[in-house]
Amino acid sequence: MPNPVKLFYMSVWRNLLTMTRYKANFVFDLLSSVLFGFGSLIFVMAFDTNILGNMIGSTNYVAFFIIGISFQSWQGTALWGSAGMFQGELSSGQIDYTFSCPFSRYWYIASNIAASALQSTLFFIPMFCVALYFTNTTVTSLGLFLGLMATMVSVAALAQLGAIFASLVLKYRQTTAIFSFFNFAFQLLTGMFVPFQLLPVPLQMVGYTLPITFGIDLMRCYVMQTRSIMPVEYEWAGLFLQLIILSVIAKLTVMYLEKSAKEQGLHYL
Amino acid sequence: MSSDHFIDHISTEELTHVSTHMKIVLRIRRCNMLKAPVLCEDLVKVYNSRKTKVTALDHLSLTVKEGEVFGLLGPNGAGKTTLVRILTTLLKATSGYVEVGGFDVDKQENKVRQIIGYAGQDSERSAYWRLTVRENLLYFAHALRDIPIKISKERIEEIAEGVRFKDRLDRHFIALSGGEKQLVIVMRAILHNPQVCFLDEPSKSLDPMTARRVRTYLKKYAQEHGMTLIITTHNMLEAEEVCDRLALINNGKLRFTGTPTEFKKKVAMKETLEIGVDNLSQELESNLLALQGVQNISHNPNVRLYCNDAFDTLPDVVAVLKKSGLKVPVRMVEPSLEDAFTFFVENGKEEVKTNA
Repeated sequence: MPNPVKLFYMSVWRNLLTMTRYKANFVFDLLSSVLFGFGSLIFVMAFDTNILGNMIGSTNYVAFFIIGISFQSWQGTALWGSAGMFQGELSSGQIDYTFSCPFSRYWYIASNIAASALQSTLFFIPMFCVALYFTNTTVTSLGLFLGLMATMVSVAALAQLGAIFASLVLKYRQTTAIFSFFNFAFQLLTGMFVPFQLLPVPLQMVGYTLPITFGIDLMRCYVMQTRSIMPVEYEWAGLFLQLIILSVIAKLTVMYLEKSAKEQGLHYL
Repeated sequence: MSSDHFIDHISTEELTHVSTHMKIVLRIRRCNMLKAPVLCEDLVKVYNSRKTKVTALDHLSLTVKEGEVFGLLGPNGAGKTTLVRILTTLLKATSGYVEVGGFDVDKQENKVRQIIGYAGQDSERSAYWRLTVRENLLYFAHALRDIPIKISKERIEEIAEGVRFKDRLDRHFIALSGGEKQLVIVMRAILHNPQVCFLDEPSKSLDPMTARRVRTYLKKYAQEHGMTLIITTHNMLEAEEVCDRLALINNGKLRFTGTPTEFKKKVAMKETLEIGVDNLSQELESNLLALQGVQNISHNPNVRLYCNDAFDTLPDVVAVLKKSGLKVPVRMVEPSLEDAFTFFVENGKEEVKTNA
């Protein structure tokens, strides 16, 4: 019968080997824990409704938070949906068949993200309705429409980032920790759960480059009547600019990473 | 000028003066005239990692003719799968030139993808587990191969009929056995009626009866549709039954190309004597090899002696065995493809026959 101590230390040995085999993933695993520590400090401040009122002009933290959560469900799909799909295809071997078929890799990713986003809407709607309930009478039909439009454009821009992350799977194979690092970083830097205005200026500068920042701010502005970070016209322009720039970068990245992955073969995990 | 003699009209002297590149271009032009669906010239693939450098394909040149069923043979790690992956645009060659259906694999990869079908090795998990076979095939045909839904449905029925799988089309993929899953993957590879189809060990997990049924169907399908079929296999029976021509790859090098019959003849195994034991002492083996009629010995799994004239050699062999006190049956057998394969792999330095 196997000795339990031997089973224990051999399991530790096996886990350590697995964990350190994919270097990039391992480094991001460590970075995530550091980031989580710092991020928590900022999250704590958001529970003070006075700070919230001063920053965004509304003390309705419940609605603020639920809109953040519902946005997260779409963000998750747009950013990580296709990466997860590629990881599944890599482990089942389906990616070999998929990549021997004649279609644009970029559109394959984009279409799958759109399909997943549609699926995520099922989860987005109930949460969004709960958020609306907590906003009481502040929401108007036009506000609702514009808020949803902002979300759509924001998710379209995020899907471009999602395409980049999906291509990273082709190159680095094991990317779970990389994803969780960026997922948390995005939650922290975009004002998803804490007012964006609360962030230190250098972090705000990074936040401006992410499409979630403007998307979620516009949504709250239209639905909750909060103060926007900057004039809404600028935010809309920023959102569309990000969509265009990220589309170009995503197309180039997908092309480059597929070529690069082909050097060693997609089957090398 | 006949296309066959295109390159022959250039003298050897002229050829020595043109660059290697030019020679390649001339060969390619010749092949285009012959409509070769697969052409590899001086193909090299090196896998580089920080610690190791593995040469999987070593200056390999190969041509497959239109409508041919072509078998790639070789021991594990010989480079067969690497070659198939390069031909199917999944892997980039380190150097050399590769064409499929007249398209440059490196520069026109999407054109290549349009005309090929592919079933990879160990790919029996590579479909959507919670969809039925029919739903899976419909998704792959319509979404990834752009076949209209109506035609896709007809094709699914037609192919399932051919491999006698119609009764399982509405079963969930996850509920199928390993062999059945593999069969679905093979069906997927020919669903869009490809011009060139690559099957990497297609019968690996199939039972002998299903394997035979599938290879008979594939051979017939290839003939009827003018499809060029390239199969990698370790199953010598399959190779002998299905393949018009074979290539043997070992250590990344092409050791042989030709028909299965030529393959067997190439090792000069006109006649074979089989001794009913799986091993002999070194001394006895030396004594047998010293006999005038015996050319070589293999263990496959019984001891086999390859002779020019087995009938004449038989009494001498029996005498040697008797002298050593070994009383075992000795019989004359027809050499099999497996004998030839073993011979080539064990005698790895054989010259390359390039009659492609």
